[in-house]
Amino acid sequence: MPQGPDGNNRKPGSSSPGSGPFEDDVLALLPQLRRYSRSLARSEAEGDDLLQDCVEKALANRRHWRGVNLKAWTYAIMTNLYRNRYRQRARHPVVSIDEAAELPAAEVHGDPLERDRLVAALDSLPEENRAVLMLVIVEGYGYQEVADMLDLPIGTVMSRLSRARQRLRDQLNDSNIISLRRPR
Amino acid sequence: MTDKNIPVSEDDLHAYVDGFLDPDRRLEVEAWLGKNPDAAAMVADWQRQNEDIRGLFAGRAEARAEDATLVSRAGNRTDIRSARSQARPWQAAAAVMLFVGGAIAGQLAPPYFTGAPQPTLQTAALPDQSRSAFLIYASDIRHPVEVGADEQQHLAAWLGKRLDTPLRIPDLSALGLKLVGGRLVPVSGKAGALLMYEDDAGERITVLLGRNEENRETSFRYASEAGLETFYWIDGPIGYAVTGEISRERLQQVADECYRQFET
Repeated sequence: MPQGPDGNNRKPGSSSPGSGPFEDDVLALLPQLRRYSRSLARSEAEGDDLLQDCVEKALANRRHWRGVNLKAWTYAIMTNLYRNRYRQRARHPVVSIDEAAELPAAEVHGDPLERDRLVAALDSLPEENRAVLMLVIVEGYGYQEVADMLDLPIGTVMSRLSRARQRLRDQLNDSNIISLRRPR
Repeated sequence: MTDKNIPVSEDDLHAYVDGFLDPDRRLEVEAWLGKNPDAAAMVADWQRQNEDIRGLFAGRAEARAEDATLVSRAGNRTDIRSARSQARPWQAAAAVMLFVGGAIAGQLAPPYFTGAPQPTLQTAALPDQSRSAFLIYASDIRHPVEVGADEQQHLAAWLGKRLDTPLRIPDLSALGLKLVGGRLVPVSGKAGALLMYEDDAGERITVLLGRNEENRETSFRYASEAGLETFYWIDGPIGYAVTGEISRERLQQVADECYRQFET
């Protein structure tokens, strides 16, 4: 199973405010945190906000870090921020096409229309399911690692993953029923 | 040699798609899929989803020049906030995020904390409005401001009255910026103030102030678009945004200085 590249086992609270080892470790994780934030958010701007809030919370909460696996800890923080952020909006999963169009075309392969449909389908996922899906697919975490990170039973992780996949499949097939319907 | 072993579960199919099966089990699942075309079609769709989703985001793990600023900024902000109030910064940030998200989706989210008043100044709109104001007015050679720096007292009194809060015009001369003047601008549908400064080379920066009826604070944020840098924050009754076409480090100094002077 893929393992996060995180070998930090520093004692919590051992660095002073300002620029110290803890900040350096967070800094080293920023590229991956940026990717995770973008895979959760519905726009570039929301992704940037999520990342900034995550960094701020990680630094403010550094005392509560147990000194192992900083990466998983910060991912958990971001996942919680993300869930809080969308909790009230879950009942109104409105997605604008403009937002989907924000994705830079150079970074996705294939038909732009297909890409937009995929983005819209992702944006329709309940946030818990989306987070698990992204942690597995994009971030490369194993199922048990996700369960540990988010403090969930493994069965919950599997059912969220399953619901995310089924919903994506339904949405993508539904909205393009002619080209995707298979001969039986 | 297929079904006589452990039956294939849905969890096996996920692990198959995600590459978590050992080689033996993988072969068993493949053989089983050969006899179950519906499941095979589903698995093929999942595999395609995986590839497409990775295609969307795999390249996004990028380091950016501003990363060090982001971290030091967040740390400093945390220190300032904890010194200034008991409120935990991320709670304010979390509340703000909801509204940012709502505004971006074209709808205002209901408040996260039950009974909390809705803000009149949408945080997401602040950097956008600041950028617009900068683009419109900073490029105007002849009439960049309504009231010039030579009437600074009048400017402060006038804009302060329209903003309904005492306005102290920051002195940025220590940073090599002198006041050009200011003007009245609409910010989120209410009277706001735009202050303009420039350096010896004529490079301009703007400071936008807008009314925020909800007395709250946000963390310090930045936004970057098309070469324009914007720092923005809300502090009590006023939201602030500083925009310029200068380096983020330099603009951050300006924002720090404004924050410091507006605070007192």
